[in-house]
Amino acid sequence: MSSARRSSTLSRILRSASFRLTMVYAALFIASAVVLFGTVYVKATDAMQSDMQAVLRTEAFQLAEIHHRFGLLGLAEQITRRMNFRTRGPIYYLLQAPTQQVVVGNLPGMPPVDGVVDFVRQADSDEPANPRSKLTGFGLTLPDGSFVMVAQDASRLIDMQHAIESSFAFASAVILVLAVAGGMLLGGSFLRRIDTIGRTTRAIMEGDLSARIPVRGTNDEIDQLVVSLNAMLDRIQHLMEGLRQVSNDIAHDLRTPLGRLRQRLEDARDHATTTAEYSSAAEAAIVEADLLLETFSALLRIAQIEAGAQKSAFADVDLSAVARSVGEAYLPSAEDSQHRLELDIADGVALHGDRQLLAQMISNLVENALSHTPAGSTVSLAVAAGPRITVADNGSGIPIEERDRVFDRFYRLDRSRTTSGSGLGLALVKAIAGLHGMAIALEDNQPGLRVILKK
Amino acid sequence: MGGCLWRPHGRNIECLYSWRPVARAYIEGPPNKGITLKILLVEDDKQIAEYVAKGLREKGHVVDRADNGRDGLYLATGERYEVMIVDRMLPHMDGLSLVKAARSSGVKTPALFLTTMGGVDDRVAGLEAGADDYLVKPFVFAELLARVSALARRPPIVETTSLRVGDLELDLLSRAVARAGKRIELLAQEFKILEYLMRHAGEIVTRTMLLEKVWDFHFDPKTNIVETHISRLRAKIDKGFDKPLLHTIRGAGYVIRASE
Repeated sequence: MSSARRSSTLSRILRSASFRLTMVYAALFIASAVVLFGTVYVKATDAMQSDMQAVLRTEAFQLAEIHHRFGLLGLAEQITRRMNFRTRGPIYYLLQAPTQQVVVGNLPGMPPVDGVVDFVRQADSDEPANPRSKLTGFGLTLPDGSFVMVAQDASRLIDMQHAIESSFAFASAVILVLAVAGGMLLGGSFLRRIDTIGRTTRAIMEGDLSARIPVRGTNDEIDQLVVSLNAMLDRIQHLMEGLRQVSNDIAHDLRTPLGRLRQRLEDARDHATTTAEYSSAAEAAIVEADLLLETFSALLRIAQIEAGAQKSAFADVDLSAVARSVGEAYLPSAEDSQHRLELDIADGVALHGDRQLLAQMISNLVENALSHTPAGSTVSLAVAAGPRITVADNGSGIPIEERDRVFDRFYRLDRSRTTSGSGLGLALVKAIAGLHGMAIALEDNQPGLRVILKK
Repeated sequence: MGGCLWRPHGRNIECLYSWRPVARAYIEGPPNKGITLKILLVEDDKQIAEYVAKGLREKGHVVDRADNGRDGLYLATGERYEVMIVDRMLPHMDGLSLVKAARSSGVKTPALFLTTMGGVDDRVAGLEAGADDYLVKPFVFAELLARVSALARRPPIVETTSLRVGDLELDLLSRAVARAGKRIELLAQEFKILEYLMRHAGEIVTRTMLLEKVWDFHFDPKTNIVETHISRLRAKIDKGFDKPLLHTIRGAGYVIRASE
């Protein structure tokens, strides 16, 4: 099983993009090695050959000079001396009389050919270690018809060529091995990381929304991708939780009014007899339905705002003007309910945001303060640079332990259960503030509550 | 079928486009009394469409219906309507594209968008596409009726400097209000409410319309801010005079008019 698994891993590595990329690189490296070694080979061979030929030519012309001065016998003597005097590697000589008879030399007789000649020396007891070596010779026919040949063993050239060839082969092999191993290593680690991402994704698809892909901390491309994916997952989880919260809220808090609505209609069906009774039942049902719709609408709005869908409508808003307009809208109602509504709004406070939502947020806060404080209370709305929005009242305030929860959907303090309201006003405030990057703080106004929103 | 596009002209209305010449005196009174509007309703929900069409026909209007965007555009560009009511989501072509296409082919018919609740961005998108007003579903029929009437007889482009209803006068330049020659002091928001009501004299103006036009509130406050402002305004302009001008229409809204 493990070998099967290994082979499947291997085949995956071979198929992986990074491995294929490595192979392409290896081929490129080998191709450039071929070009490099090929050039070196040709150039070195050329240089060595012309060097050898130059040496041979010089030697041959020296011998011709000697022949000119001292004649055939003098030359033979000189050649014999040089043959015993091997300083620069083995140099072979041949002197043939015009009759093609060998006069002196350690090369077999041959038909005279002028210029560079390559030939293979016949087996000769003279050099047992190198019985059939290749020779390069330079032949020269002298004025009297005799022929002189100077030759040198080409083995140095061949050795060099062999050295270049074998180092090329070695280098190619190393490149190939390194490329394959590197590719497998890279491909393997790449695949492992992709596998981790895949496993996490599957876990999430199976319902574990809290799963996250581990970050290696190398901050490479994959790490960055993983960080983005995790951020995306956080966002999704947040939205999903919001959605789940909304569904739970709906299930809990809308069942009661729906039940009431149903009961009313049932009662009308069973007991109403006159048109007036029917119409009053219909009226009551409409009121109940409107309340439900309002709650739905508020829930949807909160969900939308929390999803951040509103930011497209953002513009620079004159917060002072918005707050003043809201404050003035509530002055008569505040007066009617015997509240004092004080406005302390600084001019020219601007905020980048959604004008409608900001108006609704301030309106909800003012409304909340007005409806939860007894007659005779004072409510104040202040806007200061920052921007900072403060809505304060001198009512009975909110106990510390409940302060965090008043912004939850449908949360209502026990004592406000009897007053009307959906329990969504402050949840909406929280959502709008969040959208605008504003923090909410609830403070004790001694007595009363102070809500502070600031960026 | 005959009809005509009515435009207010002093105390009368004149027929701007007619396909059967008619002349009718404008009777000051409740809106829609004796005024026939040719309305295009593009709505794919059969129940809503029937409910709206029935209501509008009961008020004496002529309603053409289309249940998808393509047919709606065909009618909007082919026929002449005084108002079109267009749902946001439609088969074949959504309402936004319909209004955009109609506008780009020169149709100037005022358009009222119907949007679903919670679609907070829809309003801006709708107005950008060329719609003139919007209404969030589900709506009260009276609200729709009031808005349709307001759209069909929107004030002419000619700017007036003063508005007059009965013996009540409002000067838009000096921002002075007087009734029977007696000066009335109004707060800024009261002035705005009165100006809006007088610009739509004789038409029902709903609470939501006032919230939107006077305060630019596109949400529904729990507090009765409109009612309290209206009652203060009423105290200022009607108190001490025999004939009230500002009337509350139960279940619909408010109307300012000189006589019953």
